[in-house]
Amino acid sequence: MKKILFSLAMVLALGTVALAQTVTVAAGAVGQELELIKAAAQRYMDANPGVTVNVLETPDLATDRLGLYLQFFEAQSSEIDVYQIDVIWPGDLAEHLVDLYQFPGFAEAAQEHFPAIVENNTVDGQLLAIPWFTDAGLLYYRTDLLEKYGFDGPPATWDELEDMAMTIQEGERATNPDFWGYVWQGNSYEGLTCDGIEWVASNNGGSIISPDGVITINNPNAIEIIDQAASWVGTISPGGVTGFGEEDARNLWQSGNSAFMRNWPYAFSLGNSEGSAVAGLFDVAPLPAGKGSPAACLGGWQLAVSKYSENPDVAADVALFLASYDEQKIRAIQGSLNPTIMALYEDPDVLEAAPFFGSLYDVFTGAQPRPSTVTAPNYAQVSRAFFTAVHDVLTGQQDAETAMALLELDLEAITGFPTGAP
Amino acid sequence: MAQTQRQTALTTTKPRAMSELARREERTALWLLLPSFVIILLIAIYPLGQVFYSSFTSARFASSEPTRFIGFENYRNLLSMTIRQLPPKLDEQGNPVITDGERQYETWVRILPRQPRRYSSVNEFNFFGRRYVLGATNAEFITAIWDTVVFSVVSVVLETIFGLIIALTLATKFIGRGVMRAAMLVPWAIITVVSARIWEWILAPTRLGFMNTFLSDIGIGDGNIGFFTNSSLQLPSMITMDVWKTTPFMALLLLAGLATIPKELYEAAEVDGASKIRQFFSVTLPLLAPTLAVALIFRTLDALRVFDVFQVVLGSQRYSMASFAQDMLIANRDVGLSSAASVVIFVLIFAFAIFYIRVLGVDSE
Repeated sequence: MKKILFSLAMVLALGTVALAQTVTVAAGAVGQELELIKAAAQRYMDANPGVTVNVLETPDLATDRLGLYLQFFEAQSSEIDVYQIDVIWPGDLAEHLVDLYQFPGFAEAAQEHFPAIVENNTVDGQLLAIPWFTDAGLLYYRTDLLEKYGFDGPPATWDELEDMAMTIQEGERATNPDFWGYVWQGNSYEGLTCDGIEWVASNNGGSIISPDGVITINNPNAIEIIDQAASWVGTISPGGVTGFGEEDARNLWQSGNSAFMRNWPYAFSLGNSEGSAVAGLFDVAPLPAGKGSPAACLGGWQLAVSKYSENPDVAADVALFLASYDEQKIRAIQGSLNPTIMALYEDPDVLEAAPFFGSLYDVFTGAQPRPSTVTAPNYAQVSRAFFTAVHDVLTGQQDAETAMALLELDLEAITGFPTGAP
Repeated sequence: MAQTQRQTALTTTKPRAMSELARREERTALWLLLPSFVIILLIAIYPLGQVFYSSFTSARFASSEPTRFIGFENYRNLLSMTIRQLPPKLDEQGNPVITDGERQYETWVRILPRQPRRYSSVNEFNFFGRRYVLGATNAEFITAIWDTVVFSVVSVVLETIFGLIIALTLATKFIGRGVMRAAMLVPWAIITVVSARIWEWILAPTRLGFMNTFLSDIGIGDGNIGFFTNSSLQLPSMITMDVWKTTPFMALLLLAGLATIPKELYEAAEVDGASKIRQFFSVTLPLLAPTLAVALIFRTLDALRVFDVFQVVLGSQRYSMASFAQDMLIANRDVGLSSAASVVIFVLIFAFAIFYIRVLGVDSE
């Protein structure tokens, strides 16, 4: 009886699928993302005739993308059904998203993904987004140049990175006056919060606001490392790095003009693609550390279904399809986008395409989250206060000591949390 | 002024003598005006009122949080300013610390008040040998107002000068004038977001950018000038982009103005033996003045609400008034504060408009 009911439900579900017309996915377009999602949408349409999956290209900078999404939410627009959302947003956007557990397949699928990310996407027992790919900050380094200048491996500390970058930069400048030691993300945006939290956490400076709600950023270790980062601007990093996002750093790196780069995993397959000046000449390592152990900022994107969607069940099905084993495998191989399904890290095809998935597995599972859960729904303001303060230090408008003291006061005003040592 | 008074006098005495036909025509006119009035009400007055209203509330963007009425709180947070004197830095013996021949002062951090609102520094300045700090509760917004006004004044002045030169050139007869006139309009025709991107590439901070390559080739800079990240170059870069884009618009308006000046005046001036320069100042400029005034109003009001170049190129690194309001709304989700900022922009632009109308006497035309 149960079986009959189930198949009846399936038929009904298929019926609605066949009737439903259009699902629009708002997706990123960094690197190869857009091509990948368009191909995936086509595969879904081939398998489900009658459904049209549109892809809406959204801005590259996460801050801009959130702005666009909020405008759709404010208007309660049914224009977009599936949103690609950042790992830091489920808390802030909770009221606009549907609980995915009410749709078939999600309870089982959730078991396959990294538990930490599933937990991050769960608010009040509701699964608001299905993990799609995860990210962690990595150090990209030029193997050929390290060998040329007699270094036997990637730097373990920021001081070593400085020395190596300086040596290589001075040497390479003889033939290439546009060569730089180290490029990263220094623009005044969410990306700087990631880079910043990596510096601070790797120097035993805490995570801005601790998970139990204490503002810890104003401490000597944090101040020391942020001042050190500011000293890179104009020495081992171009002065314009304070205007760099991910793609600016990657463009400079991929044209062969830099020895080191801090970036997300997506730059790996692009760096090895045709036309890249560094294809086959680089590898990735964990980021260097200060006084403590290396820290990699936890990034990554999820798929969520809008509460204002006209076809939430079809939209949920599209999200489930896009986040499935087979689709994540294609994205991992073609785009070096880290899967969130644990079994894929043992898949031989995936490991062949991106060997660092295996060797840096611990970096991905132990990545440093930003304080988004504890500060929700004010995370955006917290992050903005942090990256503005760090940006002021990088551009020399303030020293880190003053900037962090003021940031502490700002964070107190925004969150109302007490201050303390990390 | 006298003329307008006479006109009002006429209209107030007239109705009594008005015929039935005239009155009917007036009613028809009112009916015909009604649709445009309704449209203005819907698309201008209503949203404006909405912004005024929400500037007094704590509304959050895209949130179901209940909205509270908070009076002038948003305005206090935006506009509170104070000036405090900075005490000189003293060493252990109580003597002033002097580094490189300059007296050192304490930082503003402990000088500016923190309760009930926290002030931060907008600017420091010397006055009669004393050091002062200008503090504001929202230093970003005060800086944005100042930046926007500087941007508007400098870019409009430059656009007027260049526009006039181009218009005078294109008003003379030469071969290929039609092509030149069309070519002149190209920058104006490009969407600002696109032209801002083009300039972003031209002014890229490394030698991937044209300007850095060019400047370093002729020996200026080291090929790594951060046009958009160096705080003293940000405004000049913005002004350059705006002048490049909007000079054609200015030239076009002035060209139309030049076309209305009768040729006979120049012939008469010629006969009287006036030089070309004398002709420009005695004939061209006075007759062009009304057009110039209209063009100035257009451009100044437009420049004061500049948004796109700042948003595309500088993001949250540095704000214009409008990009600040947008960032408060979208990134900070603070509808109240953003609305208050919009009202301040509205009032400022209004003040500029009234100033122009009074000084240039545009309304008499």
